[in-house]
Amino acid sequence: MREEDINSKYNITIVDTDVTFKCARETHLLEGMRSLGQKGIPSGCHGGGCGICKIKILSGRNSYITKTMSRTHISEEEEKKGIVLACRVFPKGDIQLNVVGKIKRKILSGQKIWNFS
Amino acid sequence: MSVIKIGHVNLRVLDMAAARNHYENILGLIVTDEDSEGNLYLKGWDEWEKYSVILSPSEQAGMDHIAYKVENDSDLDSYANTIQNYGIEVENLDAGTLVDCGRALRFKLPSGHIMCLYADKTVVGKSVGNVNPAPWPLDVKGVGAHWLDHCLLVCPLDPENQVNTIADNVNFLSQCLGFRLTEQALVGPDADIQAVAFLTVTNTPHDIAFVPGPTAGFHHASFYLSSWGDILKAADIMAMNKVKMDVMPTRHGITRGETIYFFDPSGNRNETFAGLGYLATPDMPVITWTEEEIPRGIFYHSGELNTAFTEVYT
Ligand code: FES
Ligand SMILES: [Fe+2]
Repeated sequence: MREEDINSKYNITIVDTDVTFKCARETHLLEGMRSLGQKGIPSGCHGGGCGICKIKILSGRNSYITKTMSRTHISEEEEKKGIVLACRVFPKGDIQLNVVGKIKRKILSGQKIWNFS
Repeated sequence: MSVIKIGHVNLRVLDMAAARNHYENILGLIVTDEDSEGNLYLKGWDEWEKYSVILSPSEQAGMDHIAYKVENDSDLDSYANTIQNYGIEVENLDAGTLVDCGRALRFKLPSGHIMCLYADKTVVGKSVGNVNPAPWPLDVKGVGAHWLDHCLLVCPLDPENQVNTIADNVNFLSQCLGFRLTEQALVGPDADIQAVAFLTVTNTPHDIAFVPGPTAGFHHASFYLSSWGDILKAADIMAMNKVKMDVMPTRHGITRGETIYFFDPSGNRNETFAGLGYLATPDMPVITWTEEEIPRGIFYHSGELNTAFTEVYT
């Protein structure tokens, strides 16, 4: 591997929101985004367990590699379609992605905890 | 006859090598065994039973089961009856089904979580021994967690459809197993929905707790440290090891505990918890938090809930 590959930073774009940031190949997308103070992908456990950072990659299978993701949140089918957890995705090239609907599973949401009163 | 303490929690992990490094070198638990299926058994230095944490390799993060210890072997028969009469199915497990434990009971809480009761687990002793012990061992690793203190479980709540498995769990555990409610949060227009509940079997503020969510899940396993200074040092060690922290050192209103929330490498949340809070003897009146003050009950200083804390669980 050439040295510039090792040090490469890739351009990551969240298509729907126009957020872009640079991410190194040894940094997962969620950490890359957060460490630059960017927002867009919901951030949770950073371990592939909670599912909150679910995204769909539009730039193809060759633009990233993944680490193990909890099957509770990403089925084999989804994984094949590029639906993955941002905290388990490391870039190998420029990436375009979209956030997959934030999982609706609030425990308590701020001051107003449930909307039935 | 009584349930005397939390015994262990069995967590599922996605990457055993990473999990082992986290629990052994960062939390400072001691690995006491490893079986042919790849399960890892660990204990805190201040614990005497062989393990309080089982890590199991899995494709899904989360909790497999939680176990509590009862006083006498014969209690298991009485509890089996009581639980069955309450309307919950109980499975009798032969000795050894829970590794290094005698016979045990397994059943589902109303929230769907699996709980086990056992009376006997192999004793290996505290790291400092029982005779003229030092206050702490010199060879402890990482943050040096003393013991598994409690777990917080996410329980289905859907008041519009009359579903409240937090209240159901509280009922079941207090009626059948002698758990005592120490703190609760009551919400809704009539402040009659028990949305958060903390229960104890010892004299500490909680040995188990429940918060609401749309699906059953695992919120965190908490490990005891003795002081606020230890909490600061724990946060330093986590930062040095790039552990993903969820909530920086602060205090809970509920239980008064001093806390850090962070995640294991599979996304299961851990807590380091310091301070014994208060003495929760059986005659202590229940403490109630109102809906507006729940955020302060949870994070006393900020008085705000962060979204990861409320939405993220395994
Ligand atoms: S942040 Fe939890 S799975 Fe990515
Ligand atoms: Fe806790």
